[in-house]
Amino acid sequence: MAGMKHIKTERVKDVKVKITWKEIVKQRELIILSIPFVAYVLLFSYAPLIGWVMAFQKYKPKDGFFGSKFIGLDKFKFLFIDNPDFIRVIRNTLAMGVINLVLGFVFAIAFALILNEVVHKGPKKFVQTVSYLPHFLSMIIVCGILKNALSIDHGIINEILVNVHILKEPINFFTYKSLFWWIVGFGGTVWKETGWNSIIYLAAITAINPDLYEAAGIDGAGRLRKMWNITLPSIKPTIFILLLINVGGVLNSGFEIQYLLTNGLVQSVSQTIDIYVLKFGISQNDFSLGTAAGIFKSLVSVILIFLANSAAKSAGEERLF
Amino acid sequence: MKKKAISILVCIVMVSSLFVGCGKNNSTDNKDADPTKGAASTATDATAAPKKIKEFTAFFDRQGIELNNDNEIKQIIAEKIGAECKETWLTGQTAEEAVGMLIASGEYPDFINWTPQLQDAGAVVAIDEYLDKYPNIKNFWSESQWNTLKQEDGHIYSIPQFGNINEKLMDTTQGGEAFWVQTRVLKWANYPKVESLDQLFTLLEDYYKANPTMSDGSAVIPFEVLCYDWYYFCLENPPQFLDGYPNNGRCIVDPLTFKVSDYNVTDTAQRYFKKLNEEYKKGIIDPEFMTMNHDQFLEKISSGRVLCMVEQKWDFQTAEDAIKTQKLEGCTYVPLGITIDPGMKSMYYAANEPAVLSGGLAITTSCKDIEGALQFINDLLSPEIITLRSWGVEGVDYLVGDDGLFYREQAMRDNAVSSEYKASHLSSYSYFPNFSGMNPDGKNAMTPETQPSEFFEGLTPEVQECLTAYDAKTYVDLLDYNVIDGYEQPWYPMWSFVGEMTTETPGGLAWTKMEETKKQYLPQVVIADSFDSSWSDYLAAYNKVKPEDFFAEIQEAVYDRIELVQGKRPTE
Amino acid sequence: MENTKLKYIKRHKKFNLKSSLYSLMIGLLLTVFVIITIYPILNTLAVSFNEALDSLRGGIYLWPRKWTLNNYSTVLHKQSIMTGLYISVLRTVIGTVLQLSVTALIAFVLSRKKFIFAKPINLLFVLTMYVNGGLIPTFLLNKTLGFTNNFWVYIIPGLLSVFNMLVIRTYMNGLPDSLEESAQIDGAGYLTIFAKIYVPLCKPVFATVALFTAVGQWNSWFDTMLYNRMAENLTTLQYELMKLLSSVSQLSGDANVSGLTNSSSSAQVTTTSVLAAATILTCLPIVALYPFLQRYFVSGLTIGGVKE
Repeated sequence: MAGMKHIKTERVKDVKVKITWKEIVKQRELIILSIPFVAYVLLFSYAPLIGWVMAFQKYKPKDGFFGSKFIGLDKFKFLFIDNPDFIRVIRNTLAMGVINLVLGFVFAIAFALILNEVVHKGPKKFVQTVSYLPHFLSMIIVCGILKNALSIDHGIINEILVNVHILKEPINFFTYKSLFWWIVGFGGTVWKETGWNSIIYLAAITAINPDLYEAAGIDGAGRLRKMWNITLPSIKPTIFILLLINVGGVLNSGFEIQYLLTNGLVQSVSQTIDIYVLKFGISQNDFSLGTAAGIFKSLVSVILIFLANSAAKSAGEERLF
Repeated sequence: MKKKAISILVCIVMVSSLFVGCGKNNSTDNKDADPTKGAASTATDATAAPKKIKEFTAFFDRQGIELNNDNEIKQIIAEKIGAECKETWLTGQTAEEAVGMLIASGEYPDFINWTPQLQDAGAVVAIDEYLDKYPNIKNFWSESQWNTLKQEDGHIYSIPQFGNINEKLMDTTQGGEAFWVQTRVLKWANYPKVESLDQLFTLLEDYYKANPTMSDGSAVIPFEVLCYDWYYFCLENPPQFLDGYPNNGRCIVDPLTFKVSDYNVTDTAQRYFKKLNEEYKKGIIDPEFMTMNHDQFLEKISSGRVLCMVEQKWDFQTAEDAIKTQKLEGCTYVPLGITIDPGMKSMYYAANEPAVLSGGLAITTSCKDIEGALQFINDLLSPEIITLRSWGVEGVDYLVGDDGLFYREQAMRDNAVSSEYKASHLSSYSYFPNFSGMNPDGKNAMTPETQPSEFFEGLTPEVQECLTAYDAKTYVDLLDYNVIDGYEQPWYPMWSFVGEMTTETPGGLAWTKMEETKKQYLPQVVIADSFDSSWSDYLAAYNKVKPEDFFAEIQEAVYDRIELVQGKRPTE
Repeated sequence: MENTKLKYIKRHKKFNLKSSLYSLMIGLLLTVFVIITIYPILNTLAVSFNEALDSLRGGIYLWPRKWTLNNYSTVLHKQSIMTGLYISVLRTVIGTVLQLSVTALIAFVLSRKKFIFAKPINLLFVLTMYVNGGLIPTFLLNKTLGFTNNFWVYIIPGLLSVFNMLVIRTYMNGLPDSLEESAQIDGAGYLTIFAKIYVPLCKPVFATVALFTAVGQWNSWFDTMLYNRMAENLTTLQYELMKLLSSVSQLSGDANVSGLTNSSSSAQVTTTSVLAAATILTCLPIVALYPFLQRYFVSGLTIGGVKE
């Protein structure tokens, strides 16, 4: 098993280079190359942030950013103080975000690892092609299928469960608040996105040096051990980067699937921030509310990103910045 | 040197691409083509040279079918009146979002559906000064009706498109809400008189006991309630009808005292939901009703399994078509005007031309040819064009009998429901002003659907039998016939006011929260083990969101409308 | 000698059994997965070939009940579909090539470990994934830049995807530092190192990013609606389909208004089948494209398995 230990992938060694004029001149090529990109990002991503001023105004499209009445933190007050519902909505969004995150990762990585084990190219290509197809189905179609599969009225899941005697009679899955988040997770993320999410990992796996496997084989490693000790650690950087990116996006756990699957009974657990904003903001021509919620989400995301990034840094792993 | 060249090239591409204006693929066909050019040429040439056809644009914040550019009837109309309009519809956004973006951009199509936000933004053009020049438009509504459209500055900015009854209503189908029941249920019980809620459910229970399954073995669903998303009106608004009131949409208005009351918390409401609760426990109501979505609802209706439901006809029309194609006997629906107790007058069907109007078609400040636009609307209201819009081309879409009545052959009827045909041939300019009721020729109905003879052709034998048994000739005859006088009840329908409320007012905010609360609690009330405790939970949550604010605002609006039409404000 | 030979055989025998069981497990898991995943596709396919009115009834699983090509004809006969197709292909090709080049270049720059400004620029880029001015400010910005009624609105505003940049950067980080060092010793500048050394080595990740970008370009319609709605010759396939579908399904509405207007205009057309047909048509090109890219993902495949 000695060969295993060599799988420490070369990690970002923190190269501390002092910023001096000499160094700048030396790296001028890199600097010149990066200038257009920085300018681009400043223009297209940061300039629109002027719009954040809408959150502090009673924004009316005709008055624009500078003519609308200033109302300070009223919108934020509306969200957080006047309406206890919003806290519950944040909880829903966060819960579904975390569940989707974990499920998404576990299944995508597991699928990539398992698929990688298949030797014959034919079946492998076939399975991979099939796996990413659900990604292209619109959420409307996916929810339609989900609803039918879970229906109490001859839905296939109920039929199976009753036949193998796990259930005595069909149950209406959508009436249970406790199940809703998991239906969203498994239906929306695992079923729909596993194949698509695994593409990155499969690409990363191709970069692994074949000699490592040979060496391990000579040491007597079985396939399972090879997967666990070589393949998995080798894609760790990819995993970490994606994890970091997704942690920041945890409050964006969605809109469409929750909107399509909800009903009165599970409303209290299904409403996400985006749905709430739609109901109380956009549909009422209140763009300020939407912006205020957006600022909140951005704030949380940025905090999470910094925390996660420092954690990754201290663990010596690949990180965002 | 090579690398320097490449990096410079990259920089140039990046920077220059930022400044590419309309240079690249922005060729041709701006539909906002300058109409004044067209106006000049049409004025001068009365000779052989082809008329330049004015092109207008319109955007409607609704769903609609986009017509092909070479749509036949659109071109025929264009030839006749010298103008056409490209209509675009809502896609992938909410109406508020779409309109908000238009306002933010400051650029509008020529025509748009009026909203308070557009008015506020100064995006629409006052048209009252022009009205005298366009008689078709001016006479479309009465003086007092035009009066109700005046904004704060005294000008009129919009032309309401719908609700204008020409001569009389030719309604054969109940377009609005009712308790719809399958004909086979009525037939089985020998066409009894079913008036009250209890009578209806007893009938359903009896029929269900005798016929629990369809011919293919699938279970019958005696009563269905759709409450998915914005369709939840099926669940929540029967109490106003059950008490014999018409559809004011969100409240009850007493015609004598003008006082507004809340149909959600009346005794009738409690009785109604308690009844639903009992029926649910007996298995009469679909156990899935509270979680199904709209597609699942249509599936169930299309299968012919549902005996009865509260619904509006347009929502399940396609499902009924599916039933007809499957030739399921006795499974099409007729409306019943159910009230909470027998012997009450029901107002499910109310013929009415509203006295107080709001909204409608508006011309925007982006329109370069306001008079041309008004001329366009005016011409669309001429009798010949109206027939083209609503019936189609004679000989192709309909035929004229010796008695002057229009009729259609089966092939024509099939075409009328094909979306390809609609896009390529039919052009109704549906969101431009149009009449309902009779066609200007005085003989025929406005639309094929309301033409009595056409209507009869479309009836299945079972429905004919059913109607005859009740001494009715049309669906509407099965319900109590009511006329709501616009002057006597100028507030009607209140839903046109509620539709314009936003969360800016405490009433509007309360309304949004009330909706959320109702959606959440009403299904629970129906399926609860203990109705009473669930009902009080519902009331507690309902009262917490301050419905009194909402009703106070509505009350004010009712008084406003009365004052507007009758000239004086009722005193408390 | 005998002993080692025996030992060798024994070890291989054990290998074979364990290995076969392992393969069996893998095969089983994947088969279940394939069944669960392919079902919605086959179902959608079946619905798309089923008569629209009949689809309303539900109950269609793997095979159409009433076969028809009407749904496809409704979609394909929609006016502007051809223009839409042309523009969609154009934007996918141009967009993918440009976006990939741009993103790869900056990823390369930021993966240079000695780059003094790497950290602040990385931070600047990463933050953009989480802060957003909102729809209206972005719309106004693009409008001011002249991107309405303009093909380039499909390409320029989305030119740099930070996500894709991070993916490529991570991959490049995994390549040995020695590559850069030895090239620099030979006197190569950064652009040369990028073009001659890194680009050939990054084929798998480039294929991945190309796929993501292409799919993104192919599927987008919102930008068409916002900026090019009135420009008919700039419409995209997805937008045309979206318009078709929006005309038939109502995501929000007012019952009373619907009652008033629907009683005078013709009834609605059923969606499910048309939606299904539209979906199948749009994913066909991607499914066709994928095999070309797949060889980059599959090349390392002999590694994972047992090399017999």
